Amino acid sequence: MVCKEKELSRHFHLPGTWSDKKRNRTYRYLMVLIFLGIGALLFFLLNICIGSIQIPLSNTIRILAGQKANETIAKILWDIRLPRAAAVLILGGALSLAGYLLQTFFNNPIAGPFVLGISSGAKMVVALVMVFFMGKNIRVTSTTMILAAFIGSMISMGFVLLVSRRINSMSMLVVSGVMIGYICSAITELVITFADDADIVNLHNWSRGSFSGMTWENVKVMAVVVFLTFFAIFLMSKPLSAYQLGDAYARSMGVNIRILRICIVLFSSILSACIVAFAGPISFVGIAAPHLVKKLLNTIEPIWMIPTCFLGGSVFCLFCDLLAKTILAPTELSISTVTAIFGAPVVLWIMIKKRKGNHG
Amino acid sequence: MKDYYFSTKKMCVGYENKPLIKEIELALPKGEILTLIGPNGAGKSTVLKSITGQLQLIGGTVFFGKNSLAEMKTNELARKMSVVLTQKLKAELKSCRDVVATGRYPYTGWFGILSKEDEQIIDEVMELTHTADIKEQEFDKISDGQKQRVMLARAICQEPEIVILDEPTSYLDIRYKLDFLSILQEMREKKGLTVIMSLHELELAKIVSDKILCLKGEYVKRYGTPEEIFESDFIQELFDMKEGDFLKNKKFSAYIKQLECM
Repeated sequence: MVCKEKELSRHFHLPGTWSDKKRNRTYRYLMVLIFLGIGALLFFLLNICIGSIQIPLSNTIRILAGQKANETIAKILWDIRLPRAAAVLILGGALSLAGYLLQTFFNNPIAGPFVLGISSGAKMVVALVMVFFMGKNIRVTSTTMILAAFIGSMISMGFVLLVSRRINSMSMLVVSGVMIGYICSAITELVITFADDADIVNLHNWSRGSFSGMTWENVKVMAVVVFLTFFAIFLMSKPLSAYQLGDAYARSMGVNIRILRICIVLFSSILSACIVAFAGPISFVGIAAPHLVKKLLNTIEPIWMIPTCFLGGSVFCLFCDLLAKTILAPTELSISTVTAIFGAPVVLWIMIKKRKGNHG
Repeated sequence: MKDYYFSTKKMCVGYENKPLIKEIELALPKGEILTLIGPNGAGKSTVLKSITGQLQLIGGTVFFGKNSLAEMKTNELARKMSVVLTQKLKAELKSCRDVVATGRYPYTGWFGILSKEDEQIIDEVMELTHTADIKEQEFDKISDGQKQRVMLARAICQEPEIVILDEPTSYLDIRYKLDFLSILQEMREKKGLTVIMSLHELELAKIVSDKILCLKGEYVKRYGTPEEIFESDFIQELFDMKEGDFLKNKKFSAYIKQLECM
């Protein structure tokens, strides 16, 4: 009898209280995901409705459904606004995810592709390649751009890794990243100054960060690259969760740290490269979005963080791009201007909280 | 030859190819407790790190049963051996139970989702280690003594055959120290757990260990049962305490004498 009672209590009572807790947590994670999903959809629609020409929502839906409408408006919607909004959705998510990976890698909450100079490295190589190709009158394809940006990301990443081996401080790592960023930007500026006039306009807009001028071809390429990488990262969520405990513990749990590290560096560089190739360097999203998402979820478990970070980044960027387009319409702000306004305070917040945590 | 669960042959440990301690020969039957003692900087942590595979061996071999450490797959090793290190475990936003649950890592599937059975083991281990009452508290906010117990729970949750602990009782008050060691002894008796740890508290090493390894200098100073190790003047010699300095104090020298007698 006693035995049976014990068994019953094991089945119903003891784990019961815990699985309630667990259910609550899962419920919270799902709610955040749904909430961000709805947010992404909402801002996506706003982005394709609002612009220098307002298109009423009813019209937008009608055009999207394939019904007849004013041809100019349909063209604006299909050829300009939709690919742009899709690109913001994909690249914003990629940016946030890249930031999350780098933060996990360096165990540093303010690491990100922009802060560590990875975006600037990518920008430099892309600028070099663009100027070189344009000088020879060769069209630069999306794939070439991504490859160039990837090489640039890896160069910067290499430097950051070298520095991080020697110094083990959160702030110094970021300072060295910013320095690498400045060097790369200086070289980029130099290249642009010596480039032909026609190239400059093109390069100048892009080198400040902008989502304008996206084509469906761009969107296709970035969708393939980003979603494949996303999938690969999602498959790594278990070893990543072990890595978060610290190297020594992860190793004792059977994780191959070397391979995992290489994968993180590779995937975060691919994501950063993809963003820079299409939209130029975009600041602060990579830090702010993962942090805000972490606050919403109240966990750093990769299996939830990876998809939620992606969605969070999408929402953040859609929101910022909407502002960039509308605040001073018809002039467009660079996307980094807007992301910095909303992202930089978050970074400050993280640093102040970190300080407090250290003392308390 | 007797069957040993854990043994080393001519093990040589150190950093970056510079040997620190050479020709370590250990042999430990299943279910025994081996304690490493020695002065600060003698290489206790280095030996433990080498055994767990965190540090590359400079020479020799480590055996678990008949398998050598170098030939074991990492996941296979993770199911046999767990660790409690001096290094803090990073557990941002994790409850104590979440931390213990990370011990199930080598047993879960591709995405690391815990099964009913895993959950049950976690709860059982937390009862056993007296951590069930704090399971919902955030790991970063509990006391050092509680943290150490949670870390032990995590190590046991990994269902190891051998557990390696680096100075697990430092910074704990006397009650936590004894409680911690008694859990280890209980695990040894119930499940035949083999334990290798380093301790600074000689009086505790004396009463809980089956074997003691004394480290000092380039070679192993001494290896044997507590009875063999704790004899007159040995502790004084191991820790370089000369007559005359602080041992002039009668109470201090009496304390050392008392440590040395078994």
